[in-house]
Amino acid sequence: MGVDMATFNRLARGLLVHVGVMPEGVAVVAKDQWELGNQMGVLKEDYLETLAWMEEELQSEYHDSRIKIPVDRMDADVVYAINPREVKYDPRTIAEAAAIFHFAGENWTMPSDGWDMTNFGLFNGDDELGGAVARRVYEAVERLRGKKLVMSECGHGYRSTRCEGPNWARRDVGFEMESSVVTMLRYIREGRIKVDKSRNTEPVTFHDSCNNARSCGMTEEPRELLAMVCTDFREMYPNRAENYCCTGGGGAMAMSEYAPRRLKSAKIKAEQLRATGARIVCTSCHNCVDALFDLIRHYKLDMEVKLLVSLVASALVVPVPVAMKLLEGYKILVIDDEPDVRVYLRTIFREQGAEVIEAPDANQGMRALQSERPDLMTLDLILPRKTGEKLYWEIRKDERFAALPVVVVSGYAAVDSPRIDFHRFLAEKHLPEPDGMIEKPIDVEKLLAAVKKALK
Amino acid sequence: MPTFEMGGRSYPVDEDGFLEDPQMWNEAVASDFATTEGVTDLTEEHWKVINYLRNYYLQFGIAPMIRKLCKETGFPLKHIYELFPSGPAKGACKLAGLPKPTGCV
Repeated sequence: MGVDMATFNRLARGLLVHVGVMPEGVAVVAKDQWELGNQMGVLKEDYLETLAWMEEELQSEYHDSRIKIPVDRMDADVVYAINPREVKYDPRTIAEAAAIFHFAGENWTMPSDGWDMTNFGLFNGDDELGGAVARRVYEAVERLRGKKLVMSECGHGYRSTRCEGPNWARRDVGFEMESSVVTMLRYIREGRIKVDKSRNTEPVTFHDSCNNARSCGMTEEPRELLAMVCTDFREMYPNRAENYCCTGGGGAMAMSEYAPRRLKSAKIKAEQLRATGARIVCTSCHNCVDALFDLIRHYKLDMEVKLLVSLVASALVVPVPVAMKLLEGYKILVIDDEPDVRVYLRTIFREQGAEVIEAPDANQGMRALQSERPDLMTLDLILPRKTGEKLYWEIRKDERFAALPVVVVSGYAAVDSPRIDFHRFLAEKHLPEPDGMIEKPIDVEKLLAAVKKALK
Repeated sequence: MPTFEMGGRSYPVDEDGFLEDPQMWNEAVASDFATTEGVTDLTEEHWKVINYLRNYYLQFGIAPMIRKLCKETGFPLKHIYELFPSGPAKGACKLAGLPKPTGCV
């Protein structure tokens, strides 16, 4: 008959809300969105601290201090808004998205206010709340003069902010709005990020969120993306706009009193999932994630739920950043009589961008010092003919090389204990300690740290 | 009102299985509810998380940010998920006797 039941339903909810009748779970969240600006009552300082924390985690994960989560950067091409649960309970998805933005070379930012793209106005039928919440996000983008609003994977938030919000807020929106699913797909298509699908080999199926697929028509982009980031994609049936509900739609996840009914009606969903034989059900909606998690547990399915951002992040091929090479632009002289050690050190230093010259003994080392003028020298103490100690003494007395950083790389554990001898030697000759001392067998991290320190 | 039964004990819970009255919590609650959240053995580390959540809730009436939980317990985020496979909001909070967190969780 062409009757839009959902619209009727929402209208009735809105009327009830205006006379003060609504489920407690929805009321609590709506109140937080009205009063605190986000649906989980997250305070601004906690939000900012969490972003800073994720930035630290990313920098240590990728060994790259240039990875940032920029807050309130003006004139960004992308302003990224999220679901508060990401910041309150599980910020891994924030870090994953940040890594993708970073490696795509995006000029992006997160706003310090107006960062919650969810909107309980959709659920409680209150257009005023819907308008107020959407307006906050729009104003954040405008305040920062952002070019585009990108929203993390939340079905109802996407629909509310992108499709319904301008009507509720009774205003035009002068910038583009995009789901992060589309953003990630664009990055891959444009070659801005590289992905390796062999990192995700477990069978994956895709659950269309009602708000993304049925309401907003986003059905092909997630599939195209999945085809690029995993090797074994299996469609579930029915799918797209005809897909079965996660059972958490319409705000039901915020209302515990409906949990038993949700789980009972989830039987058909569980069977649909089971029939795919997939190990991972991917979806693009935080609400679906939780509802699916509940029903998977209830019906004892052997499945995990993941958002697209997690699969894309795990498939991400991270380029070795040029400036991240620790020793870029440095010339290092390696003096060691053992060819294996020279090859080993050469490989390590070259990987870090250094130019490497080698010498098998002290005399050739001295010649290389004079002709090549390296920035740093590694020195083995136990050398044929002239010892490393002797060479060290010579160069420290030679004003041309007195300040040359030297890292001693030697097998101190030898029976004749050359470490003790070497220190005695330094004391007797009134020589300074070398800039670093590394014991064989060589620990790469210690070596690089010592070399880096010596070069400073 | 639904109840959750374990080891001869019976707890009034909400429909999502969270303890109805947080005041009723004791250590047996954590052990009994652990089985439903994929936690087989409650270690010292689990207790550290549970006690922190519990104390925070008694003081502030809400669940803490995951940032605070990690900072105070010294556990990395990944480890929280290893300890509580169903996550901090659903798993750890349930064992600590907190009510179900509000919103999209």
